[in-house]
Amino acid sequence: MSEEKVLVFDPHYCTGCMYCVTACSTYNNGATSLSRSRIHIVRHEAHAITKMEDEDDLIFDMISCQQCDQPYCLHLCPSLAVERNGDTGALMVNHDKCVGCRMCMVGCPFGAILYDLNRKQVVKCELCGGDPQCVRFCASGALQFVPKNLAHLPKRDRLARKMIQLRSRASEEKSS
Amino acid sequence: MTIPAGYAGNVLTIHLDNQEANILPIDKFWDDYRINPRLWLGGDGVITKILWEDFSTAIEPFSSENEIIIATGPWTATAAPQSGRAMLGCIDPKTGGFGSGSFGWFFPSMLKYAGYDIVIVKGKAEKPIYVFIDDRKVVFKDASHIWGKVTGETVRMIREELEERYEGEIRVLSTSVAGEHLVKYSPPCADGTSCPGRSGAGAVMGSKNLKAIAVRGTGEISLHDPRGLLDSSYRAVKTFVENEPMIKLWREHGATTSLGTALDWPISGAMLVENRKEADFPHLKNVGCLDCPNPCYHWLQIKDGKHSGLRHLGGHMTFLTVCLRNLGIQEFGEWIHYERLLQELGLDPASFSMAFSWAVDCFEKGILTLDDTDGMVLKRGNAELICELARKIAYREGKLGNLLADGVAEASQKIGKGSEAIAPHVKGKEYIQRDVKIQALMWSLGALTSPRGGDWLRHHNVWELAFMAEKRDTYPKFIGKTCAEVYQESLNLLDMPEELKKKIFGESQKVNMEWVRDTKGKALFSVWTENLVALFNSLVTCMFGSATMFLMVGFGPSTYSEILNKITGWNTTYDELMKIGERVFNLQRLFNYRLKGWDYRNDTFADKRAYEPAQVGIFKGKVVPWNEVLKEYYSIRGWSERGLPTKEKLRELQMEDLANGLEL
Repeated sequence: MSEEKVLVFDPHYCTGCMYCVTACSTYNNGATSLSRSRIHIVRHEAHAITKMEDEDDLIFDMISCQQCDQPYCLHLCPSLAVERNGDTGALMVNHDKCVGCRMCMVGCPFGAILYDLNRKQVVKCELCGGDPQCVRFCASGALQFVPKNLAHLPKRDRLARKMIQLRSRASEEKSS
Repeated sequence: MTIPAGYAGNVLTIHLDNQEANILPIDKFWDDYRINPRLWLGGDGVITKILWEDFSTAIEPFSSENEIIIATGPWTATAAPQSGRAMLGCIDPKTGGFGSGSFGWFFPSMLKYAGYDIVIVKGKAEKPIYVFIDDRKVVFKDASHIWGKVTGETVRMIREELEERYEGEIRVLSTSVAGEHLVKYSPPCADGTSCPGRSGAGAVMGSKNLKAIAVRGTGEISLHDPRGLLDSSYRAVKTFVENEPMIKLWREHGATTSLGTALDWPISGAMLVENRKEADFPHLKNVGCLDCPNPCYHWLQIKDGKHSGLRHLGGHMTFLTVCLRNLGIQEFGEWIHYERLLQELGLDPASFSMAFSWAVDCFEKGILTLDDTDGMVLKRGNAELICELARKIAYREGKLGNLLADGVAEASQKIGKGSEAIAPHVKGKEYIQRDVKIQALMWSLGALTSPRGGDWLRHHNVWELAFMAEKRDTYPKFIGKTCAEVYQESLNLLDMPEELKKKIFGESQKVNMEWVRDTKGKALFSVWTENLVALFNSLVTCMFGSATMFLMVGFGPSTYSEILNKITGWNTTYDELMKIGERVFNLQRLFNYRLKGWDYRNDTFADKRAYEPAQVGIFKGKVVPWNEVLKEYYSIRGWSERGLPTKEKLRELQMEDLANGLEL
């Protein structure tokens, strides 16, 4: 098996532009939408809904298939339609087998599987054949596609950079 | 006519009088309004055409006849970069002429996913209402309990009431208290985030008893070549991000980065941001509209001082420039508090600040007395006083609040005593320079020729401004290049035909201070920029990614045509798209002429100081040759000496039939 890569998301860098969402739907459905994309950005737009004196936050978070090692979707599927791709490690829906029973949706702890009204079957993130479009279009770098065993690195790297910055600022302030 | 890919396919007309909603397939609508989408695209193009067809004579902007037109374009809600935008148009309450504004965040795309390219609101509701567009279903809801609420609370109440299934599912375009009180420069606001500023449409909504339009869209936009669109968009974004250092600087340091470099707002020739370190934004991160690689919102939190704890999504240049120079607010926390307050009240920052600034000038000259100001001692720099006055204006409280709610043009006419001669407006609308003659020439020329009155966003050519700041330090500090070096590189990248570049910048194509001080090529460059702005406002996409922004290395007509062709299946070219921009701009000019009789006589600054010799800046010691440049400008545009499109020009733009009955 080749090196399996996974999506890694860092909410601190997400600018909430949803390009991941539109790129996903455009690539996979041939039409752009927010509601039929396989990746979803959860939005909490505090500034839009609070009073000036309220303290609240602006938060974006990503929901998509985590390509679990112990996938409930695969185990629960009665028609054996969920299969793991040997090259990418992605869990794929075999549309010749899927009966649209949505048991995989029951199993998925993240709500990452969608029911497609047109197909009358489920769809999910299949990593775009190894070149996930969401990552390709993420200008902020919040979404990355990294080897599974190195999924912790992007956050570590950023934290390290931040700490170096803070240290140098502290020493600047001390010297001034 | 078949509907090209990229369009949602329907036009929604909302009749407030009898609370009826009509949905018409867009091809039928195009036939009715004689719109060929290939000639007008969407956005400002169709708004101009709709206004042209619906209004042949002037109307009272607050009468029920006025319309609110929200127009997306083929670009909107696709996977093209910066596809979150739409235009909102009406008869402008301040000028009585053409009015429109660009806005984004997620309302425009949600509208298109609901199936509508255009929404037209007509008539007037008897009582306050809001309209909920739930895909194909349109519901009219009572808004009497929301009337009087400010922006954020309105959004929250409507979202709660409509029981959105997840946060942000329902998008709300609302008017605030200033709109309800018919403050003539009140814009609506989309999701408390993005406002079609300068249009005064919030007040038009108020006059119609329309508190808000909410939308939920679950559909999708078909595309001619989806994967081709992704490839073209990816290449365009990559090139833009690689060549535009401002994107990185904005992320790291906020909007003031470019104020310190690209924009000098000189009153006394001093830098706008004197202290770079303090001007750095303590922002938490940048946030953007749909598909934006260059997000311009800053998520801010005030950590100490009077406004400690205040959070805000904003930090925009207009707010900052006007804060610093026209209001005199220096403290960072006060900037942000002021910006949030104006958004909550629904006041246009440019018009409000100029009204305030003009009132201070009048007060200092004794034209306005304590009796006129309800006892307020007007001066710059007092944030508390400024915010208090903003509140008074929004609620039209007291003599001064009521006076300034109409803007400087009307206010100066009312009080007279020489205040007209220092009123900063063109055609009834405020521009944001305190003194246009020490600004760069092209920037100020834009205020004279803009179809929506004194304004800078229908032109927005920043090339002279970049060279005006004598002590700019950002480029050397952050990029390691001088301003001249950076702009020379940008000129090579600018998406403009070589021949045109030579005409504007000379054979050698050198950008230096001599070019900046000279008037040569400026009118031509202005025309090109205006056409480009009219083009991307018709697509609709954002100014911030376009070749009118920052270093002008953003998307130009070549990129627009490549991406538009992938969306629609058309085979548009650079020249064809620039012609669309020119067509839209010309019809806006013609519209204002037919409605208001505006011609060359109206291309003047009301502020007489514009015609005096400059004390500082590139025209130091000289009178700016406005009229000569305007004459050259008209001639380049193919307009008559009266500043009107000729029949030949209209024929060239395929709209000669529109000149029928007009004396041109």
